[in-house]
Amino acid sequence: GLVQSCGHIIPESPVLALGSNFTALCILNESCLDFGNIYAHQIIWKTKNRVVPKEQYREINRTVSSVTFNDTSSLATPLTCNVLADGQIEQNIYGITVTVGLPPEKPKNLSCIVNQLSKLTYPMTCTWNPGRPTFLDTRFVLKHRWPQENFPDCIPKDVNNSCTINDVQFFVNLELWVEAANALGKAESDPLVLDPIEIVKPLPPHNLSVKSGLLPTVLKLSWDNRISGAVMKLKFNIRYRIVGDTDWMQVPPEDTASPRTSFSVQGLRPYTEYVFSIRCIREDGVGYWSDWSEEKTGVTTED
Amino acid sequence: DSHVQYERVGADVTMKCGSMDWDAAVTWMTNGTDIDESHQNGSYLILKKVNLTQSGQYSCYEGSSWHLKYQTSLRVGMPPKEPVLMCRSNNYPKGFYCSWHLPTPTYIPNFFNISVVHGTREMVCEKDTFPKNRCHIRYLQLFSTVKYKVTLTVTNALGKNSTTLTFDEVAIVKPDPPESVVAKPVPNNPRRLEVSWQNPSSWPDPESFPLKFFLRYRPLILDQWQHVELSDGTSHTITDAYAGKEYIIQVAAKDNDIGTWSDWSVAVHATPWTEEPKHLTTEAQITETTSASTSSFMPPPTTKICDKGAVLGS
Amino acid sequence: LGAGQSIQKTYDLTRYLEHQLRTLAGTYLNYLGPPFNEPDFNPPRLARAERVPSATVDLDLWRGLTDNARLAANYRAYSRLLCYLRALDGQAGTAELRHRLGHFCSSLQGLVLSIAGVMSSLGYPLPVGPAGTPAPPGTAAAMAASNDFLKKMDDFWLLKELQTWLWRSAKDFNRLKKKVPPAVVTLRLEARGF
Repeated sequence: GLVQSCGHIIPESPVLALGSNFTALCILNESCLDFGNIYAHQIIWKTKNRVVPKEQYREINRTVSSVTFNDTSSLATPLTCNVLADGQIEQNIYGITVTVGLPPEKPKNLSCIVNQLSKLTYPMTCTWNPGRPTFLDTRFVLKHRWPQENFPDCIPKDVNNSCTINDVQFFVNLELWVEAANALGKAESDPLVLDPIEIVKPLPPHNLSVKSGLLPTVLKLSWDNRISGAVMKLKFNIRYRIVGDTDWMQVPPEDTASPRTSFSVQGLRPYTEYVFSIRCIREDGVGYWSDWSEEKTGVTTED
Repeated sequence: DSHVQYERVGADVTMKCGSMDWDAAVTWMTNGTDIDESHQNGSYLILKKVNLTQSGQYSCYEGSSWHLKYQTSLRVGMPPKEPVLMCRSNNYPKGFYCSWHLPTPTYIPNFFNISVVHGTREMVCEKDTFPKNRCHIRYLQLFSTVKYKVTLTVTNALGKNSTTLTFDEVAIVKPDPPESVVAKPVPNNPRRLEVSWQNPSSWPDPESFPLKFFLRYRPLILDQWQHVELSDGTSHTITDAYAGKEYIIQVAAKDNDIGTWSDWSVAVHATPWTEEPKHLTTEAQITETTSASTSSFMPPPTTKICDKGAVLGS
Repeated sequence: LGAGQSIQKTYDLTRYLEHQLRTLAGTYLNYLGPPFNEPDFNPPRLARAERVPSATVDLDLWRGLTDNARLAANYRAYSRLLCYLRALDGQAGTAELRHRLGHFCSSLQGLVLSIAGVMSSLGYPLPVGPAGTPAPPGTAAAMAASNDFLKKMDDFWLLKELQTWLWRSAKDFNRLKKKVPPAVVTLRLEARGF
């Protein structure tokens, strides 16, 4: 066409803070002047397809025109630099995409939980408040380390407010923090120092069995714990209800406040079917209660 | 000449009457009793397939003069079988002891010799005055990955045998059972029993080498035990004892990290606290007692009470 | 962390490591195959395996160790054991085993750091390691020189020594726990103007 690469805009593809002001320059090539008889004052700035009001233009010199926006909130993209060529045909000289957003806020409320998955598997999931939307491609990274050992970064997958570390070490204090970064800036959460052993949510006991015995008012529960005593000692809650009832009753917690694998529930109604469920937490109450176990029923003997 | 002669059960024994000719007239006696001439071949005494009862003193007298020409103490027995050897450390880390016995008696004196080697070092096994077949070794080193090798050799007049044990230091650590086990009811708590015990006195340093414990308990009316493992302290409160039922309780101990569990302690018995029946004077008290004594239910603090039958207790 | 709490955590970590090693060593020795996984296997300890720090100690000497010496011995031992273990970690056959060895190595690294934490909380300097940690038996140089059976024997002794060290350390830290209650330490530290 008439106008080959006749000029360009700087900055090329800016990322701008929402609400800030912005000035762009359209610089015509010298060749354009001689050949096309085009000068800076003929430049028409457009955002998307809307002409930018002339008041925002300024002719810097023969070949350079600037446009200024006091508040990028209204700045649509693309921003183009155009001229009226050959009498009234508008010809585009150059265009840039403008990205408008915000720098990341300081991630807050960093908290973590170790969800036991199996006898040997204890992934730790950390969550945080990523702060306001940034409208930009913002990268969050969960970092963690010991005093002299940095561990690989944990890169969230498809979310920006949580990450799961698959291999945590117990009994050593770990420092964690979240780093957020985008084109407009960086932010870092406050560090969180914790020992993963203190934020464990153990698996509930399993293989729960209910046995009736000689006494018509007693049912004996037995179960297997799924967390080794070398990792932590447990205490329990045991709840039960008569089949068909909705109200759960619970063995007083102080009666199940130490490591065990069985308990005789007493004071039951003879010849009645009960359903039982059990959950566990670290013996000193640090950490999280497990989910309730699968329910198991048993029937007391006749009186 | 008089001496001791050892012979194996089932062996054929021939005794010569000292320096007497084979055809000299002699008389053989055992424990003062004449021996039937059928056992004699000339002046020789022939005993076929001897048995234990034939042990005793045998004497040979010259026919006419009754001079004692020969006397022997026949001891019928067996060569030693492979001895059973056991080594154990019940006072770790002071040392360990080894004790042994023969699987079957030999009926004749046996002599035991034990050697303890740790790597290239021979260690002294100091014999205990009692029990006889036991000796103890003092640890000079701890936390060794080199195995101990203990060889026990037993010898008697009829043979010799030996056995060897090879073990790691930590493998033989087995404390004695806990001592002074006491179980008591807890006033006003019909389902609780307080159990306390002490470290075995043979365990020298519970501070540095803490023990953990296994407690088992069951009502006498049941066969199945309930177990609880406890890793600190020497007491525990049973919280699910059957109201009013007598319990049998035992405790075992183990080093916190190494070795094996002790045997169970002496069993103790206890019955949870039960409410004393009151001496009734008024109608109300009678009603109250009747409801208390006939119902083995106690309304648990957390339970929603619906009707009498539905009272559930803890 | 106060010293008392730091020691308790180190003690818990030691017992956790010992628990992990019990199953891990069994799995690894099964991977090495007979005779290494037979209970009574008692191979000679060759020169190279002698380089692995031995937990064996004279009983009276062990009893009389100062807290500093006791901690320093642990620190030095695990620093070196970690190197040897890392050499092992690289070539274990199955991915599962490599993962578990890797996890264990990281735990052991945590123990070294924990011990260092205890020492600094008690005001003790960290021991300076021997001049250049000797090439662990598993490194390429050593591997070239030894045949597979000898390499496996080294691994056997490494695991056995490590297990024994963990037993010893459990006793060491238990002893320290009793001697160093949190409160006392705080006073002592203040007295030194920390």
